Amino acid sequence: MNRLLRSINVTELLRPLGHVLAFSCGSAALMSLIAVSLALVLDRTVVGADLLDRYNVTLFTYTMVNLPQVVIDGLTIGFVYAAIALGYTMVYGVLEFINFAHSEIFAVGAFVGVELLIALDATGILAGASLVMAYAYLILAILFGMIAAGALAVTVERVAYRPLRGASRLVPLISAIGVSFLLQDIIRLVESLTTGQFNRIMPTFGNFDGRIIFGKLAMGNSTITLGIAIKSIIVIVAAVVMLVGLNYLVNATRIGKAIRAVAQDRKTASLMGINVNKIISLTFLVGGLLGGAAGVLYALKFTRIDPFVGFFPGLKAFTAAVLGGIGNMTGALLGGLVIGMLETFAGSYMGVFTMGALGSEYKDIFAFSILILVLIFRPQGLMGKHVVQKA
Amino acid sequence: MALLDITRLNKTFGGLKAISEVDFSLEQGRIASIIGPNGAGKTTFFNALTGIYRPDSGQIVFNGKSIVGLRPDKIAARGISRTFQNIRLFQEMTVIENILVGMHVHFRQSAVQTLFRLPFFRDEEAEAERKALELMHYVGLKKVGNELAKNLPYGMQRRLEIARALAAEPLLLLLDEPAAGMNPHETEEITRLFQNIRDEMGITILLIEHDMRVVMKISEEICVMDYGQKIAEGTPAEIRGNSKVIEAYLGRGAVAGQHEESVA
Amino acid sequence: MVSSHFEDLLSRFSRGPWPYLLVLAHIAAGTQLVYTQPRSILAFLVLVSSFLTLYFVRADLRFKFFAGALLAVVIIPLIGVRNIFYLEVIFQIAVFAALALGLNIVVGFAGLLDLGYVAFYAVGAYLWAFFGSQQFYAMYYAPGTQPSDLPFLLPGDAFYMFMLLGVVVAAFTGIILGLPVLRVRGDYLAIVTLGFGEVIRVLANNLDKPLNLTNGPQGITPIQRPTMPEGVVEFVNSTLQPLIGHRVTVADMYNLLFYLLALVVIVVIIFVTRRLDDSKLGRAWTAVREDETAAIAQGIPLVKTKLAAFAVGASFAGVMGVLLAASRTFISPESFSFMQSIGVLVMVILGGSGSIPGVILGAATITILNLQVLQGFSLYLTELRQSDAIIPIINFAWKDLSTQLDPAKYQKMLFGIILIVMMIFRPEGMIPATRRRRKIDQEEN
Repeated sequence: MNRLLRSINVTELLRPLGHVLAFSCGSAALMSLIAVSLALVLDRTVVGADLLDRYNVTLFTYTMVNLPQVVIDGLTIGFVYAAIALGYTMVYGVLEFINFAHSEIFAVGAFVGVELLIALDATGILAGASLVMAYAYLILAILFGMIAAGALAVTVERVAYRPLRGASRLVPLISAIGVSFLLQDIIRLVESLTTGQFNRIMPTFGNFDGRIIFGKLAMGNSTITLGIAIKSIIVIVAAVVMLVGLNYLVNATRIGKAIRAVAQDRKTASLMGINVNKIISLTFLVGGLLGGAAGVLYALKFTRIDPFVGFFPGLKAFTAAVLGGIGNMTGALLGGLVIGMLETFAGSYMGVFTMGALGSEYKDIFAFSILILVLIFRPQGLMGKHVVQKA
Repeated sequence: MALLDITRLNKTFGGLKAISEVDFSLEQGRIASIIGPNGAGKTTFFNALTGIYRPDSGQIVFNGKSIVGLRPDKIAARGISRTFQNIRLFQEMTVIENILVGMHVHFRQSAVQTLFRLPFFRDEEAEAERKALELMHYVGLKKVGNELAKNLPYGMQRRLEIARALAAEPLLLLLDEPAAGMNPHETEEITRLFQNIRDEMGITILLIEHDMRVVMKISEEICVMDYGQKIAEGTPAEIRGNSKVIEAYLGRGAVAGQHEESVA
Repeated sequence: MVSSHFEDLLSRFSRGPWPYLLVLAHIAAGTQLVYTQPRSILAFLVLVSSFLTLYFVRADLRFKFFAGALLAVVIIPLIGVRNIFYLEVIFQIAVFAALALGLNIVVGFAGLLDLGYVAFYAVGAYLWAFFGSQQFYAMYYAPGTQPSDLPFLLPGDAFYMFMLLGVVVAAFTGIILGLPVLRVRGDYLAIVTLGFGEVIRVLANNLDKPLNLTNGPQGITPIQRPTMPEGVVEFVNSTLQPLIGHRVTVADMYNLLFYLLALVVIVVIIFVTRRLDDSKLGRAWTAVREDETAAIAQGIPLVKTKLAAFAVGASFAGVMGVLLAASRTFISPESFSFMQSIGVLVMVILGGSGSIPGVILGAATITILNLQVLQGFSLYLTELRQSDAIIPIINFAWKDLSTQLDPAKYQKMLFGIILIVMMIFRPEGMIPATRRRRKIDQEEN
């Protein structure tokens, strides 16, 4: 036991926590600064006057009152994106291939987790569960989601991607699009077969819907409530735990070393006695596990899921991976948080700031604009080194 | 004035100096070789020359004008053609089509002429096809005009790549290990081909080659690179006796092995 | 043994008058079947598959051309007007064949995976929808509040001009969208184009404010059609009624008109595609697809060459968009989803990327699968559901079957399976592309 403890590399274990803290606070502070200064400027224009006219509140006050909630929401969804983005980034790092079906791996994770909870709920266990047991069931659901998604990811690689290795680049990508479509309808079919409905609602149990209130700040006629939903805490904590675990796996274990070796040079790695196929499967497994967990967390946060639930989070997470620098795990974390924050801020404030001309309905295409800008101006991403394409 | 004049060329990847302060100059109508151990920066040198990599610093003057920072297609249009170390043909196109693509910069057909098959278009295509056929024969390919490039045997693929490069009617032809993987007989033939290209077409040739018999036989000048630097330069006779070169090679046993292999 | 006999038979039938007889027999049999069994999918398939026979037999090109024209311009319109459902299927095949041929230039020739191709289709459709309806005057009204007696901006006959304008505007959009992103690597390009497709759809959904340009999710209607000359309907009725079997309405004639227009567009696309394929530009496209590094070393400017492919592909989608808006008289953002883009891609992949006959076959196959097979199956299930039938052993009553199990709702599954299976087992498609053989090798002997 002691030897085991000593063999754990503590700095490697703690290093990502620094990143998590820095990126969260950094992106939150930056976005808040932008929003608040925009509000102050717009307050002097017709936008502020209009708001004051209609709701008797200044734009600045409006912005400040909503700010804590926006930041927390941004962080929560940012961590979900980061967890999905890690799946894209790891697979890309190893195979230089966009796993288009990763969004459906995520969706399957969500469905398996939620279905488990629905089944438990039907027996009445959830309603009467103590707080400890409620958390235990939630963790169980997350684990089930992870296992299902991980197993699926490995299967998909084995069946639909591996036979195409060595073909031209677009061939496996097209196959992956096929897998994505197929999985969406398989989920739909399976869910419809059982109940006739393909939507699922996360059962309500435990204290997840509660909020912890730290206090209130008076601000003119309004008050700013400083609080956080328990759901959000769970999502963030779970995501951070996974990030730490993944970072440790990749950077401080033998398996991680093998993954990195394969990512750098598959041929040489295989000459060094690394079983490349096994490592690739493992990469898909890890990506799938993370995606599955993210799926259950997503369901916890947004309650309602459908078979197409993976599409937008998947695209945004992919954008996050590219933004951070594809192949770079720290980059995926940063990218996820930035995209989550940007999207939430845009969704919350854009409508008010533009007097309703551009509302939150544009938030889903926000990520694409970022993707295009990144690809044009900094294709290696925020944290990626400029790499020459492998010949 | 020299056809190609390179001064103090530098290219770094990460911390690695792939090319460091290389000066190089080549007169019109010469055949020169670049030799050096694996990883000496030879192919990087070609890539910098053809615009695939942008050099960090240094000057490349080709045919009287600087070509640093130009896009690869612009450089090709200025008259530099190349072949690749690991043959890069257009696999799904026929042999003739591969050569026609090589002539890309010389076509003048407009969209309207193309869509309505106007006389100018037809004449240009017919003339190009005739030239392509001629080039195909010139490099020693017979009766394979309609074959897909991917179906050719290895040696013929090498020849096709040379024909494609010649199709652009270049002033300078860069050949990256053209004899690699060839048997002694093929090597001899292709060496003669290079001499013909120079003598009959007047094209200046710069080649990277590991096979010392090819290098010593056809080069009029040899430039030796090691660790991104030019360590020696001169006629084959001078290079053969250069102690630095012998050290660079024998120090790692590269040339000895290579030599015996090719002699055997 | 069996196969050699078969080959014997095949070679016997590919000589002399046999191919001609075979084609004519197939066409005649198909026509006869459709005439006598107007509700049979099979009969329809027999007729449509005569195009395949026509393509595969060895016969004089002039004959092939004549027979093809006879089928497409005479027989099918007649049958279509007789049974309007067939005309709808044929029209959709024509529309999708045109779209697939356009996408084929981008994906098949230039090797650029465009996942947002319907964006250009939408541009064309909204172009005519805006100018060919009352939308111009409804701009200042929120959706649903505009008075119904607003005037139309342009006469319906401006439609023909807008078909040309659709080409230009869509090509221009293609260049604008392509310019910034065509430098990125192939797999990124796929995601970026997907993004563009979504952006266009979201814009169509939300540009009902501050100015009401698209009327939001409700879509724009009515969209004008070109005027139908006075005497046409009467003329058809007086001369062809015995063949058609009932009086033809103006609506029927419009359907026919749009089918024929789609046919014209297809002919133009094939013409342009074939001419370009065998030229400097077409060779440059293929070279870029095969190996970008080698292509640029031959002096081919990558971005310019890709932009050309993007613009040409987009322009065909644009003109089909204009056609769609007029033929449906109604469009909404629904028609331009990611699903549609993938649907067109599936046609290209299934038929054979880079191959003109392949792509048309792909479009026909997918459209028929969608419209006839899946929906036919759905109808059958609906009938079962309305009956009291029970599956014997498991004692399952059909009427308990969920409507969610409707096969017509599982297009994605169909598309997904096709994409995966084709990539693994036959990436070159049903009719693979071939390179033109030049008459050179004989001379050398």
